[in-house]
Amino acid sequence: MCVDDELLNTYLDGELEEPWRTQVEEHLGYCNACRGRLDQLRQLQQRIASAVLPLEDIGQRQERVLAFFEKSRFPMKDKKMHIFRKKVQVRLVPALMTTAAAFVVVFIGSFVLFGTNASQAQDILPGIATPMDSANVRQVSDTKVVTLDSFSLEQIVQHLDAMGYAVKLEVKAVTPLE
Amino acid sequence: MEIQSNDEQAFKQVYEQVFPVLMRVVYHVTNNQDLAEEICQEAFIRFFDKGMVFPSLNDAKYWLIRVAKNLAINQVKRKSREMVMVDKLKKYPTSHSHTKGGEQVLIEKETRKQVQDAIDQLPEKFRLVIVMKEYTDMDYKQIAQVLHISESNVKVRVYRARKMLESLLTQE
Repeated sequence: MCVDDELLNTYLDGELEEPWRTQVEEHLGYCNACRGRLDQLRQLQQRIASAVLPLEDIGQRQERVLAFFEKSRFPMKDKKMHIFRKKVQVRLVPALMTTAAAFVVVFIGSFVLFGTNASQAQDILPGIATPMDSANVRQVSDTKVVTLDSFSLEQIVQHLDAMGYAVKLEVKAVTPLE
Repeated sequence: MEIQSNDEQAFKQVYEQVFPVLMRVVYHVTNNQDLAEEICQEAFIRFFDKGMVFPSLNDAKYWLIRVAKNLAINQVKRKSREMVMVDKLKKYPTSHSHTKGGEQVLIEKETRKQVQDAIDQLPEKFRLVIVMKEYTDMDYKQIAQVLHISESNVKVRVYRARKMLESLLTQE
């Protein structure tokens, strides 16, 4: 008995389970008519499958629909932030610049309009003059390295004397007189 | 891996994998690319806006196919009530690759049109099954899950749909 079309279709789709699959294969091994029919069904299946909508026709539509979602569903986080930043930029920056400009105008304007003289300047500026005396004037030296050469022998002896040292001076090759 | 439909990353993952499948199913059921695009968009809008959780990517895929095929069937029914409109909609412009020779493109286009016209003539329940069998990578079991019918029912419908298509295509 030959294999019917329903079984052949299932076999073609790779969905026929054992033991029927082996039985169908055995039958196809010797039955030319069933093999021919299987070929016909395979060709038909391939013809139907070849009408598939190609990926190149899908790609553009896939991008377009995704763009719709990017616009209408996903922007929440990023775009809100963006709008906020924009508002800050639009509102704060001109406000700051206007205020700064107003200060400059008032400051310069006051000098231009009223002018200045010494007494006015003294009224405006706080007095900082201090008398010059020994208490607040300190002498500074620009000598960077201080060595013994900076002092005279007399100064050194005086200093050592003040520190409580008994200093005895001798000159080379000169013997003191008894 | 669980899928939260309104999570942007999960959505995009599902979208990338399922859109081509969905587009093929809907196109071959409606025979209209623009309409298929609209229906796919609508299906994904519902998917996102409902904020559902799916146990796996396949479950999300089956849900989307189910929604899109229902929308497509409704459209086809509406269209068949407005036959004039159908004729107009069928004349959509098809874009084709420019790398192939013009003649080759024409032959392919003609073959596709013949097959698609034949599919259009199938009753709804056979059309859905054969479209899913031939234009997606789903097996009988998966098709059964999408359509909520038994596997043996899918097997019979595939066989009967092919039989009808064979007779329609050999008539020409």
